[in-house]
Amino acid sequence: MTSVLSGPSVQHGSKLNVRDHDGLYGLIGPSAPSMVAQLRKPRQKEDGVTKWEWKKFSNSARKDSLRLCHWAKSNENSNAYQFSKYNKHPPEYSYNDEEYGRLLEDPEWTRDETDYLFSVVKNYDQRWHVIYDRYYYNSGRERTVEDLKDRFCHACRRLVKDRITDPEARKKALEPYQFDKDRELTRKRYLSNLDGRAPREIEEEEALFLEIKRLEQNERKFKRDREELLRTLAGIESGLPDIVEDELPLSLFDSSKNNKRKRGTADAESPISTPIPPSATLSALGTTKRTAPVNPKIPPEDPIQCIRHIELSPTTPATKAAHQPSFLRTFKLPNPKTSTHVRLVSTLQEVGLTYNRLVMPTEGNVALLHTAVDAATALIEHRKALEKVEADIAALKEKHGVEGDVASEMGMEEYGHGRSLSVATSARSARNKRGRSLSASSADTVPQQKRKR
Amino acid sequence: MVQYGGDEVAALVVDIGHSSVRAGYAGDDTPKAIIPTSYGYTYESPGNGQDVQMDDSAPPALKKKFHVGQSGPSIYRPGMEVGHPLTDGLITDFEPIQPLLDHAITKVLGCNPAEHPILVTEPAWNTPEDRERMAEIIFEQFNAPAFYIANTGVLNAFAAGKGNALVIDVGQNMASVTPVMDGFVLRKGLQYSPLAGTIHSRAHNLLLSPAQYRPQGIALFPHQLIKDKLSVEPGQQPIFSLREDRLPGVTESWRAWYEAREVDEWLQSVGGVLDSGWNDQLVQSRPPRQYEFPTGLNSMFGAERYFIGEQYFHNQQQQQVPQTARSLTALLSDSLRSYDVELRQVLVGNVVLTGGGSLLPGFADRLNTELSRTFQHVKIHAPGNPIERRYGGWLGGSILGSLGTFHQLWISKEEWQEHGKAIIAQRCK
Repeated sequence: MTSVLSGPSVQHGSKLNVRDHDGLYGLIGPSAPSMVAQLRKPRQKEDGVTKWEWKKFSNSARKDSLRLCHWAKSNENSNAYQFSKYNKHPPEYSYNDEEYGRLLEDPEWTRDETDYLFSVVKNYDQRWHVIYDRYYYNSGRERTVEDLKDRFCHACRRLVKDRITDPEARKKALEPYQFDKDRELTRKRYLSNLDGRAPREIEEEEALFLEIKRLEQNERKFKRDREELLRTLAGIESGLPDIVEDELPLSLFDSSKNNKRKRGTADAESPISTPIPPSATLSALGTTKRTAPVNPKIPPEDPIQCIRHIELSPTTPATKAAHQPSFLRTFKLPNPKTSTHVRLVSTLQEVGLTYNRLVMPTEGNVALLHTAVDAATALIEHRKALEKVEADIAALKEKHGVEGDVASEMGMEEYGHGRSLSVATSARSARNKRGRSLSASSADTVPQQKRKR
Repeated sequence: MVQYGGDEVAALVVDIGHSSVRAGYAGDDTPKAIIPTSYGYTYESPGNGQDVQMDDSAPPALKKKFHVGQSGPSIYRPGMEVGHPLTDGLITDFEPIQPLLDHAITKVLGCNPAEHPILVTEPAWNTPEDRERMAEIIFEQFNAPAFYIANTGVLNAFAAGKGNALVIDVGQNMASVTPVMDGFVLRKGLQYSPLAGTIHSRAHNLLLSPAQYRPQGIALFPHQLIKDKLSVEPGQQPIFSLREDRLPGVTESWRAWYEAREVDEWLQSVGGVLDSGWNDQLVQSRPPRQYEFPTGLNSMFGAERYFIGEQYFHNQQQQQVPQTARSLTALLSDSLRSYDVELRQVLVGNVVLTGGGSLLPGFADRLNTELSRTFQHVKIHAPGNPIERRYGGWLGGSILGSLGTFHQLWISKEEWQEHGKAIIAQRCK
């Protein structure tokens, strides 16, 4: 075919070349004619064109000797018919009298009917709707699809369990015959209930759903407004216990911790005007309490399946994404705030720690590092507060020309700034406490910094 | 072709419907041979002609001569009777089947049936005796190497590319609703009635009965009997003269055949269905259509054309006369009632509309309206191509017969001789 086709085109090309080369091509000018390239003789495969033949073939899926014809390549001589491999049937189970008596006795079913059921199932390859449609057995009982399927699956399960002893093979063989009749019936009942709703009921349901949505939205709006109002009125966060922020990024740490942290930062910024950090913060110097948060996003069955959700420290970089992908522990080492970063690094270096590197980031080690960083952060914040108080004291002393610690305290009392007094006393107590718990080297830094000022 | 699972073995597909017999090669998209199912026959003294069949009931002196194909019943022959092999979709008269198939296969297709496996279609309510008789004809009279008989409902679903479907087939005589699951007909939900035939006879009465502007009704003479005619203004009395020489040779059965054909042509040309239900104002607002009969009568049809189409969905006489054919809506609800919600939803989401009777404009839309009243997620597959709609059964057979995996299902001649008639029910489930 190809050679016949290419014949005239080659001739045509040569004719063009001989006769019109000078005259016609001269008119085109310097631009090269693109047609010449296309007139090349097409390349042929070495082995030539494959012939197709109208050949007889036999189909191994057939039991007789029918030989039909189809078009096939002449060089292909495969005997197997390529479509016969699709002739697949599910495994069949049959039983003898002994097995029936031992395993398959059922007051609801007779031997004859069971035989009939197995033959119909085999005939229609377990297409249950078709089986139910073609099931004509006069047993006096009305059989539903579920009845038929339940009987068949149950019988097959019995036979498999009896015959196959290898647990793996048995499990595999049992798999196609799993059928829970009650569940199927419940499902169908639900479906028909859903279908049987009157249009008025559907409308009512939809209206109720919308109403719920609207109420939820209103409530959220109301909460937000109330919080904003309180914030405006109280100047800062009011700290009312029932106000919980609605949209936490993804609350991997619980809300009490969140509040604590916020109070802590507020404390560091303006120690005078805020209440004293509660003793919980002080205890952070030792070990941070990590109570298991009740996170609604964690499925309740996870603990059963040994899936642990590791709560992240507030100092780790938080992501706004709703989903927390899996990560390496080293990626989420504590990352302190930039404002205290330098001081924290130096504080930790004094005790020989690098805050962002662990040789063995096991869960315990990371928790310890968290504790250390938290403690250091708390320490730095307390130091700041202390410095500020001491500076205030110094300023007051200068103002009143009073010397001595006792006098200063008395002076404070005299001028009676209630809030600053309480701050001062607790700050002092904090200092005393720290004096007990901190190492000598870190305690030394206080006078140094004081000297710098 | 391998990637589509196709492997053509030059099988023939034969689909016998009420209006026509379709035959062609499996793998084609349209049947190559389409001949009318109606046949004409005359009695001749023996010795004339070659296409002669013996008829036992006829007097031995006369031979029954069949006239089939495009030049069969439509050609005037003095004294020719016209017969039809089907009653309610089933073949009740097997005598003309051989000449009909022989004409389609050897004359029109021009091939030798002994060289090709033959796939024949049957309605879903076919009887075992009928399909066995069919196999006998194919094996014994046509000497085909292999045979298979497939259900038109299933084949229509296959033509639409579906394994599960609710096939609504509106033909020239029957209307049927066939649920198909995994390529099998669900017999418990199968519903059918001679609805289309009833509607045809109603249309026939409508045209014959006197109306406002045609006091004598319409004379349904075919062009074979008309000598000459003059063109007249719409609504005027026709001016024509008949071929008086032919009139004495017109038999009663031939007259019935040509009148039915005129009615059918009228219905297919002007008939329509209102897509949202009957509404008098709406009918008045629709433009009337003009139709010219062979006599030259030229008339406008307004409400009448919708009145006939409406009968498919809303059968007004049903209450009074229970024997009349159930309407399509009744068939549908009777069929779907036998299934649970889950299956019903699957079926309603896979409705296949097929058959030449469903080609009236607005039919598919109306069906959608009717179904949407009761069901939420209705999806109707109605091929826009009239050939596909008319010959959906044949097309499905063409697809099935060219599948590589199907060739194991053929009943071979060897199996037929070995097992006899039992093999048909065993293989063609």
